Amino acid sequence: MGSAGLPLFDPPQPPLRRGKRKVASGVTDETNGGSSTRPDVKPKPVAQETSPSPLTQEAPQTLTVSALIARVRCALADAFPRRVTVVGEISNFKLHSSGHMYFRLKDADAAIDAAMFRQFAAHVRFTPADGLEVVAEGRVDVYDPRGQLQFYVESMTPRGAGALELAFRQLREKLQGEGLFDPAAKKPLARFPRAVGVITSPTGSAVRDICRTLQRRWPAARVYLMPVLVQGEGAAESVAEGIALLDAHAERFGIDTLIVARGGGSLEDLWAFNEEIVARAIFAAVTPIVTGIGHETDVTIADMAADVRAATPTAAAELAAPDTAEVLRHLASLHARLHRSVVEGLASAASDLRGLLRSAIFRDPAAGLRIRHQRLDELSHRLRADLGHLLSQARRRLDPVGGKLAALHPARLAEVARGRLDRLTARLAWALGARSKRAGDVLAVWRGRLLAVHPAQRLALVRQRLNAAERQLEAMSYRGVLWRGFSVTRKADGAILRSRADAVEGDWITTELADGMIRSRLGEPDGGTTTDHKLDAARQGRREQNHGTG
Amino acid sequence: MEQDKLTFEVALGRLEKIVSEIETGKVSLEQSIERYAEGVTLIKQCRSILETAEKKIQLLAKDQGMGLEVSGELDPLREE
Repeated sequence: MGSAGLPLFDPPQPPLRRGKRKVASGVTDETNGGSSTRPDVKPKPVAQETSPSPLTQEAPQTLTVSALIARVRCALADAFPRRVTVVGEISNFKLHSSGHMYFRLKDADAAIDAAMFRQFAAHVRFTPADGLEVVAEGRVDVYDPRGQLQFYVESMTPRGAGALELAFRQLREKLQGEGLFDPAAKKPLARFPRAVGVITSPTGSAVRDICRTLQRRWPAARVYLMPVLVQGEGAAESVAEGIALLDAHAERFGIDTLIVARGGGSLEDLWAFNEEIVARAIFAAVTPIVTGIGHETDVTIADMAADVRAATPTAAAELAAPDTAEVLRHLASLHARLHRSVVEGLASAASDLRGLLRSAIFRDPAAGLRIRHQRLDELSHRLRADLGHLLSQARRRLDPVGGKLAALHPARLAEVARGRLDRLTARLAWALGARSKRAGDVLAVWRGRLLAVHPAQRLALVRQRLNAAERQLEAMSYRGVLWRGFSVTRKADGAILRSRADAVEGDWITTELADGMIRSRLGEPDGGTTTDHKLDAARQGRREQNHGTG
Repeated sequence: MEQDKLTFEVALGRLEKIVSEIETGKVSLEQSIERYAEGVTLIKQCRSILETAEKKIQLLAKDQGMGLEVSGELDPLREE
């Protein structure tokens, strides 16, 4: 590489080889300290003859840029004769449309531009990205147009995790984001498959395991094999195509279940099932898919995209098909239940009928009647008992009322009336004195009659007579008042003088006393007061008199 | 090769329904006797489907276009 630039920067120096050796030896001296060990430094003595120390002693020598770069390149080539491995973090990553990758590798203190050409980049399994720490293997060189140090990467692996592991993680994240593993998108498997389509290698252990399992568990299902490449170059494409094809023709063959399988192997062996194209084919399939890839511990991207994931091909077949023995047992139990329920239904109907015929009403119709009679007796007995209780209760409540009622009894009322009559008689006697004797006699007669009749009649009679007696009594009573010293004054026309205003001077008035009349004339009063006194007295008399008559 | 229209799944589903209907007394006595006859037929059909055993695998191959065809039979168990 370095030889291309040498003629340009060193035209005056005749031997091309010598010039190169010179530079080379100088570098060797500085780095190794001794040159004798290296076979390509043999011509050193020759170089020393012409120019013993070109870099140090011929310092003023002027170089073109190209010559400078060429010398640096030579120095680099000597310093790093083979490929070097560098650990660093990727930054400024760019994937050019040509397929080349450009980025920088850096650590805390330094950075170097890096390029990875297409023929190498195509083999990178993971997707390089900024921030990713990688182990890169390649050559160090100078990029002439800019005089920059550049690292030409030929292979690269992520640091820590393996490249496949990282690729796996990256794809899983991507497809998860797209919903390819969404549980809601998963389809249920057929309960009793009619035909199973198997996508696997026709020669591997997987196809044997699956066929044996299906035949053991569910021989009723037909099995179709879609032979595909499960390992190596083009395996992913082959598997994806097989899935798509079989799914597209599933209906024609009556296939309702697909099994995608592969026997155990290394991560690299199983890699086809971690490829995006396979996951997408599984996700796109209309027919439900069970996967059984590798061993128990292997979980591929294809497994995650599948409707049901089984740990192994055998397990996949077990999940895809029910166990015939179990189904036969289920059938037998259904048969038994069917039989039992119908027979039992009939038997219970028959026994219901027999029970009805055997029941008391058919055997002894009168029994019901007897029972009812007895019941009736029982009820009436209870009713009587209840009634007695109720009556005594009512009686208790009535006792105080009875007392009041007794007071209202006609005999009692008559007695009361009689008492009142006695009192009135006494009052009358007092009021009338001798003059009331006749009235008293009348009352006495009534009283005799009263006592002669029945208490009830007596009451009515008493009331009636009492009222009449009272009226008569009242009519006579003012005369009694006159005996007590009051008088009644009448005007000439006989009208009772009731008001002072009716008293006109010079009028004749008649005053009725208990034992006779006084006729007098109203005179002129001596003074206002005297007249007032007189008239006041008169007024007072009138009041008394009114009281008496009213 | 194609079975009757009645698949095992459909037949079993119908049978399960009949049994549960009779058991829960959803149907009359007369109806249950009719269903019983149907159930017994279904059981026979299910058994006959289970008795068919496919010994061979149908090997598929792409044809000239994008179609698929059965290219042969395979007995992977005999190879062992």
